[in-house]
Amino acid sequence: MNKQLIRLAVTASFSSFLWSCNQSDPAPKGDYVQGIFVINEGNFSQNNGAISFFTREQTTSEADIFTTVNGAPANGGIQGYAEVGERGVILVDNSASGLDKAVIVNSNTFETVTTIGASEIENPREIVAAGNKVYISCWGSNSDYSYKTGYIAVIELPSNRFVKKININSGPENLVYNNGKLYVGTVSYGGGKMLTVINTSTDEIEKTVTLNAAPSPIGIDANGKLWVNVGTQAIRMNTETYAEEATLAIGTNPSKSASNFVFSSDRKTIFFVLSYSDANFVSHGETYKFGITDAQIDVNTPFIKRIFTGLSVDPSQGLIYAAVTPSYAQAGYAVRYRTDGSLVDSVKVGVAPTGFFFK
Amino acid sequence: MLIHYTFSVFNKRKLLLILSVTTGLFVPENVQAQNDSVRLEPVTVRGFAPERFMSGLKVQKIDSSALSNFHFQNISDLLSLYTPLAFKNYGHGQLNTVSFRGTSANHTAVLWNGLNINSPILGQTDFSTIPVAGFDELSVQYGSAASIVGSDAVGGSILLGSTAPAQSLHLSIGRQQESFNNSQTQLTAQYGKVINPKYTFSGKTSAYDGRIRNEYPYTERRKYAMLPSETFQRGLVQDLFLQSENGRELSAHIWITENNLTLTPKDTAGREQTFTKAYRTMIRYQYKAFTFRTSWVRDIIDYAKGDLSRPDHAVTDKFANRLERDFKLTLKNNSSIQIKAGGEWTYYRAQVAGYISPVNSENRGDLYVLTRLQATTRLLVSVNLRQAFITRYNPPFTPSLGAEYYLIRNPDYNLKFKGSVGKSYRVPTLNERYWKDLGNPDIKPENGWNKEIGFEQNYLPDNQNSFYTSLTAYHNRIKDWTYWNASRNYRVENLQQVLAKGIELQAGWKNNLAAWKSGANISYALNKSTQEKAYDAYSIDVIGKQLVFVPVHTGSFIAFVQHNHTRLTAQFQTTSKRFATFDNSQYLNGFMLANLLAETTFDLSKVKLRFQGQINNISDTFYLNVRNNAMPGRSFAVSLIISYQSPDKIKYFL
Repeated sequence: MNKQLIRLAVTASFSSFLWSCNQSDPAPKGDYVQGIFVINEGNFSQNNGAISFFTREQTTSEADIFTTVNGAPANGGIQGYAEVGERGVILVDNSASGLDKAVIVNSNTFETVTTIGASEIENPREIVAAGNKVYISCWGSNSDYSYKTGYIAVIELPSNRFVKKININSGPENLVYNNGKLYVGTVSYGGGKMLTVINTSTDEIEKTVTLNAAPSPIGIDANGKLWVNVGTQAIRMNTETYAEEATLAIGTNPSKSASNFVFSSDRKTIFFVLSYSDANFVSHGETYKFGITDAQIDVNTPFIKRIFTGLSVDPSQGLIYAAVTPSYAQAGYAVRYRTDGSLVDSVKVGVAPTGFFFK
Repeated sequence: MLIHYTFSVFNKRKLLLILSVTTGLFVPENVQAQNDSVRLEPVTVRGFAPERFMSGLKVQKIDSSALSNFHFQNISDLLSLYTPLAFKNYGHGQLNTVSFRGTSANHTAVLWNGLNINSPILGQTDFSTIPVAGFDELSVQYGSAASIVGSDAVGGSILLGSTAPAQSLHLSIGRQQESFNNSQTQLTAQYGKVINPKYTFSGKTSAYDGRIRNEYPYTERRKYAMLPSETFQRGLVQDLFLQSENGRELSAHIWITENNLTLTPKDTAGREQTFTKAYRTMIRYQYKAFTFRTSWVRDIIDYAKGDLSRPDHAVTDKFANRLERDFKLTLKNNSSIQIKAGGEWTYYRAQVAGYISPVNSENRGDLYVLTRLQATTRLLVSVNLRQAFITRYNPPFTPSLGAEYYLIRNPDYNLKFKGSVGKSYRVPTLNERYWKDLGNPDIKPENGWNKEIGFEQNYLPDNQNSFYTSLTAYHNRIKDWTYWNASRNYRVENLQQVLAKGIELQAGWKNNLAAWKSGANISYALNKSTQEKAYDAYSIDVIGKQLVFVPVHTGSFIAFVQHNHTRLTAQFQTTSKRFATFDNSQYLNGFMLANLLAETTFDLSKVKLRFQGQINNISDTFYLNVRNNAMPGRSFAVSLIISYQSPDKIKYFL
């Protein structure tokens, strides 16, 4: 009797499987299938970070899609967002200890699937997708600000399984994934000088490369070379030997700092912000660019005469998305530029935008 | 003792007047005796009461039954129900700052027996650290009274007072047990004795201990987190009064308070502890028309994260001395002028880790003349003048003019018109001046003009009922508003100009019928507090917008009914939405809270037992604090106060 029932069930499910295979591949359903996701850090003590969303045609955004869909905000500063198929992972950094988390959502509807809490994700910084996993740089508790409790958290999707922590000293920050390797940089004030390479099939540290300052990996260029920002230099590196193939100075003024490096959509140009604070703590600076085969970086000719709190390039249209934070107590803007530096428009987003996710 | 004084100085320049009158305090009387045109008599006024010179301003005295209802709570719980003050609350037992008439937390002067007890480094008071058990009297003064009480009184002032006890012996012990394993314990002794025919001694000793563990049975409400926190609060109040038949009064006051707040206490790596201690001491000596006051206040803040053994340590000392003299002048037509002339000198010393030097100190001085002219039985006028002096600094000259006029004055009905215009200022906090890099030694004092008019009416239709109504409209523009500018790495600057304007309506009814008593109070306030000037290219998004965490509408309703010694009280308060960002793009929703209190007292001749039961947030309303975390839902509290009172009254000399 039981066997018959099972046989019936198997037959039924098999035929429904065949029937579903018969259908053309269904388009994903949801309000957030295609468009621009803006990562807004919010004001730290107010825990009011948000993800804003707009489509490429729109000039106004939905300021906080997570709250719209789920009825309550993510409850913290938003540090990053990445997707693996139908899963999206949001990094949430609350001002109080113990309330940080990675929220896993349906990437098309933004409905919460599950949450991985502070014992696994504490002081999250950046996230990158690699295959069916996401890698999250975390500072750990870091209560004495000595940056000794950091790690990379690994989450497998769509099983939502927390795989492991890989310890990284000195405040792990920027992440770049390419071809089975995760490159991990550290914050400039973390005291470290090591670029860590993690093998993503074993999730073990494969190599550490010592540089002359804290490294921040930028990405892989059109020729398959790794670019790393190290102090006041941009370094082009061989991804097998880790040999420095080119070292470009970013100006000669040590009081200026370079940040927000991003590749153009053809991966042949790198844009970045070069800024400094004057005696009154007013930030000044401009945005510059250089080519991946240039012999030097021209910091006399700004590409855009402004600084930004975030910079990204839309891989499908090639437009530059720049984030503007007027203050931590009012909404910021996403400003769009063409690749020649001319302004397209600006879209009001959430508080303190720092990054973009395109799909 | 009579002092002869030339009145013609009123014709001279304002500042000169202040200097003359106040320096006149120290000059022997015979030097002053010249060309007398009018006689100024010294007058003895007991108590601290700066309210006497606040004519034209709205002053609300909180009655003792309200204070008794809130005996185990902190002052913000009481004020949010009885006044339109808006609180910026970080959670139960956590930081709680005030917005008075749409101003910032730095714009409310909190005075303890006339001494400003705002933290000198922060320029504000955390109201979660002020339990109602810490004082005997509470008045709220609305609008700028900087000419009377000095710096910080821009939006208004909170006046806390100690009073000499009435009974020769009164002992009480009280305990409140609340939901979430929270509790409060209090001990009070009041005593007094006529030592000999010429001297009376009295005093009060009181101790309180609060343990707010916040062990909520839920970790979130409507998906919003409950932030784990615990607060331990302890305090000791000591007041001593010695009064003589010939007009001398000596009093000593000590208020020591400790407040230890820990966020996420179970997380040993990430917990955050803020341990504040305040030692407040004061000696006040009054001899006839002279009053001398000396006080020393030490504020300590220890902040630590993770490892609590090595906190950041900040200590500030404030040593303040004040001498005042009261005069009374009776004019021909029976009108009279009361004048208080005074001078104050304060020394500040701060040891704060982030400051430009290990120890920073400064001197501040104030000279002032306060007057109250009872021109006719219907008309009362106050003119008050103040000039403050600060090391390396120039605060503005601060005058004010206020008047009250009875339009109708009958035994059963009166209607009074009030009006006031006054300058206000706020001396920058020590953080604003001395914080390394981010502070600004050249920052200007904020200053503004407050204007208000109002009506007050009282109606007593019979012996049982009384009605009270007050309606006030105000307009308060504050210039050089300081701001820790996030776009300049949080450096402090005079960047904004704010206009706060609004209307306040308060009405009350009381009924007294033999064994039955009942009453109700209703209050509504409309406050538009907007930025008029701001600082950068994106300020267009901010100008004209309501200030953050300042609700446009607030209201409350309190009603009670009492039969003999049993009383039932219902309290409602409502707040409209509060914006969380300067451009008003984010906000916290408005909410309404209701509480129910029942109490009964068993009177066993000299011993009384008071039982009280309380249901807070009876409708389990969901609302948020400024951290975007949920506030607790419905909670319960029961308390018992056992008191012993001897029937003998203490005889004081009038």
